[in-house]
Amino acid sequence: MTSGSGGWRVLAVDDVAPAVGELRRLLLEAPEVGSVVTATDTVTALKLIQAGPLDVVFLDISMPGMDGMELASLLARMTDPPVVVFVTAFEEHAATAYGIGAADYLLKPVRPERLRAALDRVQRFLAPPTGAPEPAAVDALAAVPVELAGRTRFVRRDDVRYVEAHGDYVRLHTPSGAHLVRIPISRLETHWSHASFVRVHRSFLLAVPAVRELRSDLTGGLLAHTDVGDVPVSRRHARELRERLLDAATRGVFDGGSR
Amino acid sequence: MGVLAIGRRIVGELRAGLDGPGAQSAVRRLHGLLGADAVGLVDLRGDGVWAGRVPEPFAAREVVAAVLRTDARATGPGLTGLPVHARDELVGALVIAGDGLDRAALLEAAAWVGEALERARLEASAEVAEQAELRALRAEISPHFVYNSLTAIASFVETDPERARELLLDFAEYTRHSLARGGDYTTVAGEFAAIEAYLALARAVLGDRLKVQLRIAPEILPVALPYLALQPLVENAVRHGVELTADGGLVQVHGEAAGSEAILTVEDDGPGMDPEHAADVLAGRGNPHSVGLLNVDRRLRTVFGPGYGLVIETAVGAGTKVVLRVPRFQPGVVA
Repeated sequence: MTSGSGGWRVLAVDDVAPAVGELRRLLLEAPEVGSVVTATDTVTALKLIQAGPLDVVFLDISMPGMDGMELASLLARMTDPPVVVFVTAFEEHAATAYGIGAADYLLKPVRPERLRAALDRVQRFLAPPTGAPEPAAVDALAAVPVELAGRTRFVRRDDVRYVEAHGDYVRLHTPSGAHLVRIPISRLETHWSHASFVRVHRSFLLAVPAVRELRSDLTGGLLAHTDVGDVPVSRRHARELRERLLDAATRGVFDGGSR
Repeated sequence: MGVLAIGRRIVGELRAGLDGPGAQSAVRRLHGLLGADAVGLVDLRGDGVWAGRVPEPFAAREVVAAVLRTDARATGPGLTGLPVHARDELVGALVIAGDGLDRAALLEAAAWVGEALERARLEASAEVAEQAELRALRAEISPHFVYNSLTAIASFVETDPERARELLLDFAEYTRHSLARGGDYTTVAGEFAAIEAYLALARAVLGDRLKVQLRIAPEILPVALPYLALQPLVENAVRHGVELTADGGLVQVHGEAAGSEAILTVEDDGPGMDPEHAADVLAGRGNPHSVGLLNVDRRLRTVFGPGYGLVIETAVGAGTKVVLRVPRFQPGVVA
């Protein structure tokens, strides 16, 4: 792969000009994307693919002439093929798409948060795990020291239902009370994301298994209800939380759990 | 076997039409009943089934051709051909070989066959109509809601482009879900995503008049259910409980696990209705515009069994609560 420091070189192909324009706009908002070239037909797309190395290709499936699937099959035969993400209006092609090695499959119109998830998948395709354990493999912060009445105690991560940011501090909400700790919420997110914690709001990190109920208030805002309080869920995180909850529920996390 | 019993058999055997599997046997019974040398039943293409020995096949073909051409009785050497009518329409010919046969009995036999075929046709078209009805019910997207949503979105394009964009994505999600193919299953999570898209649009249209509370336990999110089992109930509650009232109303949607079942309820605090009217709706005798409930009820029973229909709790002035139960795990129902 050729992704250098200048960010990914991306090609977006769709015969509907406004669709490709919107996709380009959304892609350029992503920090890892360096440049985006577009094509509204497969011949132009093939020329662009031949002209320069590309890291990622976003492909519409249904196009006149050669369709996206055929183009992707051609790409798959290259020695160093770009990562392919399909973008289509219909769900029926999904199985075939994954069959030819696509990284992801987006439905039109594309939601920004869904595109974000697709770019994360692309990242994994571009930089497959090297096999060496990452530094985070050491379970840092499985317990967090807190000051309580002049003494240092430890709050177990598994007891934390949710984390609330207060400037440079966070408040860890547990059944035994809330504890103020000096650590940025983004750092806790990094360390705890593998342990079922998910960012649901600019200021809130939530333990997925702690959710008892998803609630919406009268104005349409979403709340995750836990036994120690309700956590606001922002609109752009709602989808991911729902997917994490669905995934956890499918694994039986909520059946007879202790939380 | 008595004549009546034989007649009943013949009617049954002709249920699938002249080219159905029972036609041969029906013709054999007619053959015995009429005491003829041979009996043939021929459709409009000239293809037929025969019983007995046809003395002159060539002459028989001539007679069939004459009957079908003229839509009237035709005769040949030792042969009588009669037109067969279903709903006053020529559908084939009955050909009888033999001498000295009772002419009235032959006419009666032709009429009998015609009526049997007519009934077969009616049954087939009733089945098609029922399927078409279920399909039509499924694809029910309210044009009213579509235009209101688009109008609301258009109004935000200038003043709040970000919201307009967001609402259009919701609109895409709403229509995608509503246009999903029949016979498919989704999850409670999928249905709730569609409900949220719908509610975002409804809020844009109705503003403060619409108040909604959703409460859903995460453990039922993976439960499989037919597409559009829950969302139409919410749409129904908004339409009847909120839109029709001047100062708006509250719609509550609640989902929780209860043993091996998931219980989902949709409740509004609108005008409610006479419980007898609610029973009529579920029995298909209600207002043709409120087919949403009926449709959901029918599909749930089809998928999960007769015990899993909708339960409507309502009274005039007391709002409406619709309760839906689905098994958390049902063999063969996979999203």
